[in-house]
Amino acid sequence: MDIYLPIAEVAVNAPLIVLLGAVVGFISGMFGIGGGFLMTPMLVFLGIPAPVAVSSMANHVAASSMSSVIAYSRRRAVDLRMGGVLAAGGVVGAFAGVELFRWLRLLGQADLVVSVSYLLFLSVIGGLMLMESLGAILRRRRGDPAPPRRDRRPVWLYGLPLKMRFPRSRLYISVVPPLTLGAFVGVLSAIMGVGGGFVLVPAMVYILRMPAGMVVGTSLLQIIITTALTGVLQAGRNQTVDIVLATLLLLGGIVGAQFGARASARFRAEELRAILALIVLLVGLRMGLGLFLTPDEPFVLLSGMG
Amino acid sequence: MIGPILALAATATVPSPPLPPSPAASAPVISAALTDTTVQVKSDFRGARIVLYGAVFDAAAKPSDVVVLVRGPEQPVRLTRKQKVVGLWLNSRPVVFRGAPGFYRAASNRPLEDIANFGTLRRLGAGVDHLPINAPAEQHIETRYGVRDVVVSSLGPDYYDWRRAVVRLKEKAGLYHEDGRGVRFVDRGLFRAEIALPTGAPTGVYRAEILLFQDGKPVSSRARTLTVEKVGVERALYVWAHDRPWSYGLAAMAFALAAGWAASAAFRRD
Repeated sequence: MDIYLPIAEVAVNAPLIVLLGAVVGFISGMFGIGGGFLMTPMLVFLGIPAPVAVSSMANHVAASSMSSVIAYSRRRAVDLRMGGVLAAGGVVGAFAGVELFRWLRLLGQADLVVSVSYLLFLSVIGGLMLMESLGAILRRRRGDPAPPRRDRRPVWLYGLPLKMRFPRSRLYISVVPPLTLGAFVGVLSAIMGVGGGFVLVPAMVYILRMPAGMVVGTSLLQIIITTALTGVLQAGRNQTVDIVLATLLLLGGIVGAQFGARASARFRAEELRAILALIVLLVGLRMGLGLFLTPDEPFVLLSGMG
Repeated sequence: MIGPILALAATATVPSPPLPPSPAASAPVISAALTDTTVQVKSDFRGARIVLYGAVFDAAAKPSDVVVLVRGPEQPVRLTRKQKVVGLWLNSRPVVFRGAPGFYRAASNRPLEDIANFGTLRRLGAGVDHLPINAPAEQHIETRYGVRDVVVSSLGPDYYDWRRAVVRLKEKAGLYHEDGRGVRFVDRGLFRAEIALPTGAPTGVYRAEILLFQDGKPVSSRARTLTVEKVGVERALYVWAHDRPWSYGLAAMAFALAAGWAASAAFRRD
């Protein structure tokens, strides 16, 4: 069942792409991440040109995040105001990121920046999350009391101006940290072809100290807004969105996301974080491996003329 | 090259074809036709196989060689080379090669280097080693050792590695191919060749050049064109995405969001 993709100009196995969409959608719904960091490398591995994979992925991530954010909002687990502030930063970041990526492609260094970003961000974040969540799991196994929750948030969070009330998250903090975080994630989303949930979720937990129940739903909201913008910008600027590919992916993705969102209720939060950390770490190391291994073919054809 | 134009597309089974009226009636002439002149790219496109038939008309019956060159639309190639820098494999500055066809196939009844000499093959661009690929942005002309107009490439002695890499990578993608047994004589003067287009073959107008060689010289040639085009939904989407990219992008995203919303509504349990 092969199908020809009109923009990517390659033929792919349709059921395989739907299945890939479903698996990534499941992970996305379960952990509240876009899943782009898994999807983009896999599409490239299947022979789809990288720019098309990065751009079409944005449509898929937006769709599967949309399908799970509604489930979260019904459980009142989305902080709309926080999501809006994050997304405002994300919009600025996405514009800057798309331009930065064009410039890097022109220099022929897009591959390098993508590999280094994957290696750096995924392995640091994956490693930190893994340590933290394994610690939590071990403590629970031994029956140790949970460490006293450090409710005292970092002082600088309060020292900054432009304070805003976030009633859903029970926070009264400056808008500068979430805006900066949103912008940073927006840049990453354009460069790495990801939604940025893997940065956003830990940052919301450990830096903004949002209640755990609010984090996943809110990060999905910010991901939808950022990826929707990235997807339209990529189509408009680079003509690299393949609607057939995106449709195949989201066919599986939206269904997978539903099951993922439901499955997440059956696991403890620290177990979920440990699994996610492991996936993140593995993908990061795999992507970074290319920097260290001697390539079989030293020459690489670059797609497009920049 | 002798150029009497034969108005007849040779069909496969003409035993004694009428010789074309021409001032040099005894001159050898080649004729050929493609089984298909258009290839339609649809959702089930998985490449195509085109058969080229032709005939050699030569009263003197001298030993003849047939070379078929098929070139797709030109696509500049951007190439980078991985280099080890402090233990890491990094991309070099990209180099742009021009003159590279998006598809190239050279078929002949015996290896090209047995048919004609280096200069002839180079002039005709026959064979993957003789394609007119170069990197004009890397070249400059200078005077060396008193010799004027010497073309010097800033890639230095590695230039040929780069050029070979273009061909090697294109061959790997099934876009370039040289086949010294690709033309088969099925009967006296009657030959056949197959052109295999991979899924990644670019769309556009392809030019097939059919050359008759005698004593290492091209004595007659024909040209045929082949059009590879997207049709139906594939064409509509491609044109939309390229001519009105913003409306395409907005529509694609709106569709994605609506699909996500619909799925969540469909899965709602209450």
